[in-house]
Amino acid sequence: MALKIIDTCVNCYACEPLCPSKAIYKAEAYFLINPKKCTECVGDFDVPQCASICPIEGAILDAQGLAINPPGSLTGIPPEKMAEAMAELQAH
Amino acid sequence: MELPVLNETPAASAGGCSSHSCGTSDDQLGHLSDEIRAKVENHPCYSEDAHHYFARMHVAVAPACNIQCHYCNRKYDCANESRPGVVSELLTPDQAVKKTMAVAANIPQMTVLGIAGPGDPLANPERTFETFRRLSDEAPDIKLCVSTNGLALPDSVEELSKHNIDHVTITINCLDPEVGAKIYPWIFWENKRIHGIEGARILIEQQQKGLEMLVAKGILVKVNSVMIPGVNDQHLAEVSKTVKAKGAFLHNVMPLIAEAEHGTFYGVMGQRGPTQDELMDLQDACSGDMNMMRHCRQCRADAVGLLGEDRGDEFTLDKIEDMEIDYQAAMEKRKVIHEAIAEEMHSKRAAKEEAAAKHAAGKKLNTRPVLMAIATSGQGVINQHFGHAKEFLIYEASPDGVRFMSHRKTDLYCSGDDTCGDGESVLQRTIRALEGCEAVLCSKIGYEPWDMLEQAGIIPNGEHAMEPIEDAVMAVYKEMAAAGKLDEVKDDQRATA
Repeated sequence: MALKIIDTCVNCYACEPLCPSKAIYKAEAYFLINPKKCTECVGDFDVPQCASICPIEGAILDAQGLAINPPGSLTGIPPEKMAEAMAELQAH
Repeated sequence: MELPVLNETPAASAGGCSSHSCGTSDDQLGHLSDEIRAKVENHPCYSEDAHHYFARMHVAVAPACNIQCHYCNRKYDCANESRPGVVSELLTPDQAVKKTMAVAANIPQMTVLGIAGPGDPLANPERTFETFRRLSDEAPDIKLCVSTNGLALPDSVEELSKHNIDHVTITINCLDPEVGAKIYPWIFWENKRIHGIEGARILIEQQQKGLEMLVAKGILVKVNSVMIPGVNDQHLAEVSKTVKAKGAFLHNVMPLIAEAEHGTFYGVMGQRGPTQDELMDLQDACSGDMNMMRHCRQCRADAVGLLGEDRGDEFTLDKIEDMEIDYQAAMEKRKVIHEAIAEEMHSKRAAKEEAAAKHAAGKKLNTRPVLMAIATSGQGVINQHFGHAKEFLIYEASPDGVRFMSHRKTDLYCSGDDTCGDGESVLQRTIRALEGCEAVLCSKIGYEPWDMLEQAGIIPNGEHAMEPIEDAVMAVYKEMAAAGKLDEVKDDQRATA
């Protein structure tokens, strides 16, 4: 039972001080979670703290490997709208 | 813009006006008490003439943020306090202190150190306060300032009051949670992410509480607002009135910057920023209530140097590592230079007041006001080629005199290539930035822009090269009046008389 930070992490440090288990650490490229220490905040908080402050959609995965904050959930930008805008920029 | 070359004793003032408000008494700091005025008159961000002499820098020590704004993409620096689409080099407090002292020793005009991001400084209290603590001790001649979204402000006021904090900037975009929900999708509060109106309500409460607490402690507060057409533009005059009533000393309304390539909500969803006219109309509507800041250049959070320039490349981490700084010696040198600058500024201000008195004594015109754009690289004179100007200073001439209105960038966050703005050329974009102006004063100008300006109804004028800005603007205004161009009342006339 552990959460995971993936390479879309932008190194903003927001999650690190919130972790009640001190499981989050700065690694070479981005932050990582020590799976042996991570409790998913059970017993400390109602919701996992790292995933509740992380500003990057998809950067934190649950134990099943699913994004806790899926595309569109934090920015409010509908994923299809984002795809459209990116395609538009690519075309230039 | 190049830094002015400063000798140990600057040359005496050439006389004439320096760069603002000649011929009128309503300069930006005019309504302030003497005490506040004395505190901010040498601050490059607050005084239009001080920014020609003093410099500020920001250090990027605060990466975390506790809210999401629709004009921000957290992959980059804060798009409001910093610049969209840019990532600054994150510093530890120790690196930040070293960098600040290296810059202060090498650029004696640097008087202000700010922490504004890349996230929210008060969401990174340890890094932010460690930096402030050490600089208060080790470099006491540097003023400190901090910008915040306000969410963590009430908890930080006590700590802020312990350091050499000159002023705090709070970004307040609304008072109404329903408006707020359209700007802030969520906040992180008491260990939860809170979305929508409820999150906005808490943020607004914290901002207002923090503002009141700072004022009660006697700490100066400036308020920044981002003008978002259709979202909070109708609401900001009320924001201005409220924050003034609570004791904020200055309100800075900034235009939204939103481009799809920044990947922000507003950028991707096609939310437009305000036009130059809309921004100036709102600034005018707010200025009845309080001091408006009109020369903010929305500089980068890690910028180094005078306003509008960035010398950050001279002070990268590897370069400061090799610098030996004797700060005691530097501080003595800085003191001498600061005194000389103060003397020069005072003599220029005195000359300006004299010119204003002379103007007031003359025969008063009965003509409409006119906006003019000025190409200058500083020193309060017209000394830049039209094609070299990356920004123009906008002045208003009226029978009451000449006053500084704002800056307009010609390449606002644009790389300047032809692919942006639907293939609009650099020249077309420049001319669009001059919307509402009837003349442009520069040292020289080429044939092509001359023709295009004329077609756009803007008179190009290269006849006042090296003259003080206010004198030249008034001279051109009088020529226009004499030629009978100012008799008819235009629909878009700005009411200032």
